[in-house]
Amino acid sequence: MTAADALTFLLMPFAACVAFVLIHAYFGVQVLRRNVIFADLALAQLSALGATVAFALGYAPTSAAGFGYAFLFTAIGAALLALTRGLGAFVSKEALVGILYVVAAAVTVLVIDRSPQGAEHVKKMLSGNILTVSGAELAKFAALYAAIGAFHWLARGPLISLAGERDPASRALPTVLLWDFVFFVSFGLVVASSVTTAGVLLVFSFLIVPAVIGSIFANNIGPILAIAWLVGIATSAVGLVASFWLDLPTGATLVATFALALVLAGLIKALLFVPREQRRRTRRAAMQIGAALLLAITLGSSLWLIINPHADQPLLAAFEHMTGLGPARFLNASNRAVFESASRDTVRFETQIEALNARERAARYEGAPLPDDEVRRVGSYQQTFNEMAQGERFVQQVLRGKARERERWLVGAPAGLLALAGLVLLGISWWRAYCKSSRTARSA
Amino acid sequence: MKLGPIALALAVLFIAAAPAAADVRVVATTSDLAQLAIAVGENLVSVETLVPPASDAEAFEPRPGDLGKLKRADLVVRIGLGYDGWLDKLLFETGNAQVMRGAAGYVDGSVGIPLLDVRSQSIANDGGHAHAAANPHYWLDPQNAVIVSGGIAEALIARLPDERDRIVANRNRFVQELKRRLAEWTERAAAFAGAKFIAYHNSWPYFARRFRLNVVDFIELKPGVAPSASHLAQLISEGPKLQVRAILHEPYEPGESPQFLAQRLGVPVITLAPSVGSMPGADSYFALFDLNLAAIATALAKPR
Repeated sequence: MTAADALTFLLMPFAACVAFVLIHAYFGVQVLRRNVIFADLALAQLSALGATVAFALGYAPTSAAGFGYAFLFTAIGAALLALTRGLGAFVSKEALVGILYVVAAAVTVLVIDRSPQGAEHVKKMLSGNILTVSGAELAKFAALYAAIGAFHWLARGPLISLAGERDPASRALPTVLLWDFVFFVSFGLVVASSVTTAGVLLVFSFLIVPAVIGSIFANNIGPILAIAWLVGIATSAVGLVASFWLDLPTGATLVATFALALVLAGLIKALLFVPREQRRRTRRAAMQIGAALLLAITLGSSLWLIINPHADQPLLAAFEHMTGLGPARFLNASNRAVFESASRDTVRFETQIEALNARERAARYEGAPLPDDEVRRVGSYQQTFNEMAQGERFVQQVLRGKARERERWLVGAPAGLLALAGLVLLGISWWRAYCKSSRTARSA
Repeated sequence: MKLGPIALALAVLFIAAAPAAADVRVVATTSDLAQLAIAVGENLVSVETLVPPASDAEAFEPRPGDLGKLKRADLVVRIGLGYDGWLDKLLFETGNAQVMRGAAGYVDGSVGIPLLDVRSQSIANDGGHAHAAANPHYWLDPQNAVIVSGGIAEALIARLPDERDRIVANRNRFVQELKRRLAEWTERAAAFAGAKFIAYHNSWPYFARRFRLNVVDFIELKPGVAPSASHLAQLISEGPKLQVRAILHEPYEPGESPQFLAQRLGVPVITLAPSVGSMPGADSYFALFDLNLAAIATALAKPR
């Protein structure tokens, strides 16, 4: 597998990501301004409900009828969302949007209940399958998004000015509702098309994260959009490559990458995009908070080791894994020999299970077929090896517990004391700074 | 066309529930076991199925009505091996002592089956014997139906000792018919013996063993987790080297990645029926194999 292979393989998903980012980041900015962040989930779910109803009535989801039903339900959703502006005075808009989403999701489950692909369909709506997007689909997306983008460019006056106004009293209510409806219908079209490919989770990330990052650094819609698009496209590229090299499901990796980008953007804003005087102070505070967190985790972990050495010790296990200092080091010679032979035997038994499996598997299609009794024999050997490996794992576990009983005083106690001392020092310096600042405040 | 599976599902349910003047009420977890129970019991039994025939038994969510079915049941037939693990909880809730694990009315079809893929860690000791977690799709080897039907016949005879001769005769007739057809199927499958496939999910080891197919890899390695980019890329790069002939796919599995892979490899996707009633035409246990073998034969016969 060469880098060139990877590139050709990831090109199509990346092109899809670019198309999605371009249109979704724009809608994300609008949604943030309107303060109906979960509207996309509600609309996506309603369009999924429409597609499901069409499916239950016997139409293929990709047929014209399927799209018609999906669009009909999306339009109903858009009308309901537009009305939330009117109801906003009595209840929170976000609550209504949430209720719309949950009800649409529940009704989808009811409609889909007896259909063969029901469970699969619901799962697909969540995590999508952006990896296998085809050229034809991409062309469809591009055409649809270009049309919607052009429409929004032409109607940018009313669409953008209305978005920012909480109470557009200067305009007649029917006009406001009409423009809101137009906005939500076009939004619903975008989301209905992208959710089937990217899934609800990823669409939500495309929509909100770049827009939020853009609005961290800028105030006007132009710069916000420019930043959102650049960051969104770069993040998609990083996420796709990461999913490829780390061998992880693509949709979920992209969502995590977007979250990481948001954290990075926050740090950059706090550390770099502030006046110089404040920059020094924030950097200091960030380092102190980081150190305090690290020390507190170390203290907690060593206390946990001292209190309950036989329980799972995640930090210690990670440390052992990284340094290669296994628990064997803390055992006496005879116990260490037992521990090491148990580790070796576990591997040996697992290899034997795999070897038997490979032999049985090969006999399925080449050479003489294994008779049933031979397969039973292989199965019972595998089961026995399983039990034996299990036993060796148990031995390892018991000895690891023994090692950790000693480790708690040799490792846990000093590490805990050091962490405690560090925390006390940090606390003292904070207390001093606090006294000093309150004194200067009083004297001023 | 799309309504086909649903209509079929309803038809199977209806047929399964039809005989009214029956003595023994059998509840089978899957449609395949229901078919075997009908073959052995004929008009001595009325059979109900819990999992709708075209859906994934492992992802099944029981409904309130299922409790009622189990409460009335005289005999429960299950796949076992964790495939219908939700049944344990249901049985416990109904508290019907006749069909509890270990009772005379409890038939675990996996008992006595030559199990494949026994590699995962064993589950805790359960009633004195440890069950190895093996691949549960054993009904896809017709030879295994001989064993499963034997288990059902035994439990039925325990329930209706007077009908012993009829039950034994039914079962023998079924086994004879099965053997005759198995010979035919094996002959038909010889045409593509050793052919290489990529399956969506590891559902076909028993089928592959009986009909000598070579399933080289799977698209979805962990059930329910979408394949990663590098796994798909690996399948694409190794597919031509291994000369994979087709992608095996079940009706309720997602269609995108099999289609995607098939296009890249230039091979067909073959949709196989994993259970009775899961596809139009798969309306009996015998039809299941007729249909699947015909689907493979047609797909592989087409020039590439």
